[in-house]
Amino acid sequence: MTALRFEDVWFGYGDTPVLHGVSLSLEEGETVALLGRNGAGKTTLTKLIVALLRPERGTVWVGERTTQGRSPEQVARRVAYVFQHPDQQLFARTVHAEVAFGPRQQGLDAAAAELVVREALRRVGLDAMREEHPYDLPAAQRKLVTLGAAIAQRPRVLVLDEPTQGLDRAGARRVMDVVRRMSEDGVTVLAVTHDLAFVAESLDRAVVLADGRIVFDGTAAELVRSEPRAMELGLEVPPAARLAQALKLPQAPVRVRDVAAALTARGRD
Amino acid sequence: MSVEFSSLTFRYPGADGDALRNVSTAFEPGQVTLVTGALGSGCSTLLLAAAGLVPHVTGGKCTGTITTLRHDPASPEGRRVLAGRVGTLLPTPWTQLSGMSYTVGEEVAFGPANLGWSRDRIAHAVSSALDLVGAATLIARDPRTLSGGELQRVMLAAIVAMDPEVYLLDEPTLELDPVGARTVYRLLPEIAREKTVVLASTDVDRAVDVVGRVVVLDRGQVVADGSPDAVLGIPGAVASGRSTTVAELARTAGLKPPYPLSVPAAVERLAS
Repeated sequence: MTALRFEDVWFGYGDTPVLHGVSLSLEEGETVALLGRNGAGKTTLTKLIVALLRPERGTVWVGERTTQGRSPEQVARRVAYVFQHPDQQLFARTVHAEVAFGPRQQGLDAAAAELVVREALRRVGLDAMREEHPYDLPAAQRKLVTLGAAIAQRPRVLVLDEPTQGLDRAGARRVMDVVRRMSEDGVTVLAVTHDLAFVAESLDRAVVLADGRIVFDGTAAELVRSEPRAMELGLEVPPAARLAQALKLPQAPVRVRDVAAALTARGRD
Repeated sequence: MSVEFSSLTFRYPGADGDALRNVSTAFEPGQVTLVTGALGSGCSTLLLAAAGLVPHVTGGKCTGTITTLRHDPASPEGRRVLAGRVGTLLPTPWTQLSGMSYTVGEEVAFGPANLGWSRDRIAHAVSSALDLVGAATLIARDPRTLSGGELQRVMLAAIVAMDPEVYLLDEPTLELDPVGARTVYRLLPEIAREKTVVLASTDVDRAVDVVGRVVVLDRGQVVADGSPDAVLGIPGAVASGRSTTVAELARTAGLKPPYPLSVPAAVERLAS
């Protein structure tokens, strides 16, 4: 099932064209990185998905419906969006209230919402923080609060903007676990990111935008392995993949656990 | 010693626990010092203490002493003497904008102008600082229209322009793309030859290439302090997840400690 589809989408701000006929299709459960330099149109593309922007030409499909004529609130029943900077979207007085907002808006009663909230907080590791004021938490934990709120919306599509930025390794691992679990549950994940380690570890596919056009669409591993392509994007091949290449490990693995396995196998020879 | 902490214990107002516990350590010029630890370990707080913002601006309960360039940075005299001699870069550069500048050039000139420098000296400091951080082309832009990455470079330039003796850099490349982050990190050892440069970051993979010393905080306490190899290359550091990705791989591959921390070091050990 196609979860998200762009059909020849054009968009510009005033006289500044941003997207030039983008066509893209994401399946249920697929996890996709959206990459590109500043100004390439990544954020514009994600805002079109949640109906914060409307295409000038072409159609955006979320599931079997187009975003045309639908409000951001209506689209939010299927799509959850986590902003790059949590302070752009946090508003409640407690972590619990923040995460409960989505399910309550969707009409769940307090008891049912509570179950959803508890599970979401557990997944982002914030069970103990539920009564805290979000702004009393460090920035990295505020970021996990917004991710928890997105999980609690029980979306079919999850859009993440730089989800690992500013997190330490434990926090980044939380995000990676969340993405994997969502995907197993059939949720489509689209992540705007500069973090190729995150792309290598958790995402299946990579799409690169340049000047409003898709210039690469392939497997995440293929992108992560390519030093020239990474450099062109201002990105760096993550250390595990670089080590695998330098040692010419078979199949050029990119994930830490695959590189570790290849190194262990090599040690036995 | 340009920055020295002696038995420093600090608790934020209303907090249940101490953000820093009995910290005694010092920073000096000659090499970049990385202060790292899991988020919430107190790395940022330690930098704010060196700058005199903790406890002076934040409030809270503080015991022990902080000495920055031979002054208590939170004392009235310290604040007066240290203006321009200590540069602090926060991970959220937009919170550091003066709000009084129409151009990037004016923003970077704000510090030097407040130090009472001559016009020529300010102009020279502004252009060479923007050059150094790779932001020369932004000089006429309105700072409020910059991207996060551009703004972070500009705010670093604003510090460089004042030519401080102490650089306190809290995640200074958070908003930059990886190649941009790498270029900023490469500047640090050069600056640290004569200045005290303290870098707080959880990005150990990237920082390890430019730092000469690593101080690890855990729940407000210093738990390790030494060269990168001595602090990060040992099994305990890898087991607790505070070392580099390469060290983790080296351990899995069965290498003996000290584990290599960077790709070139690992290749050297593994290629044979």
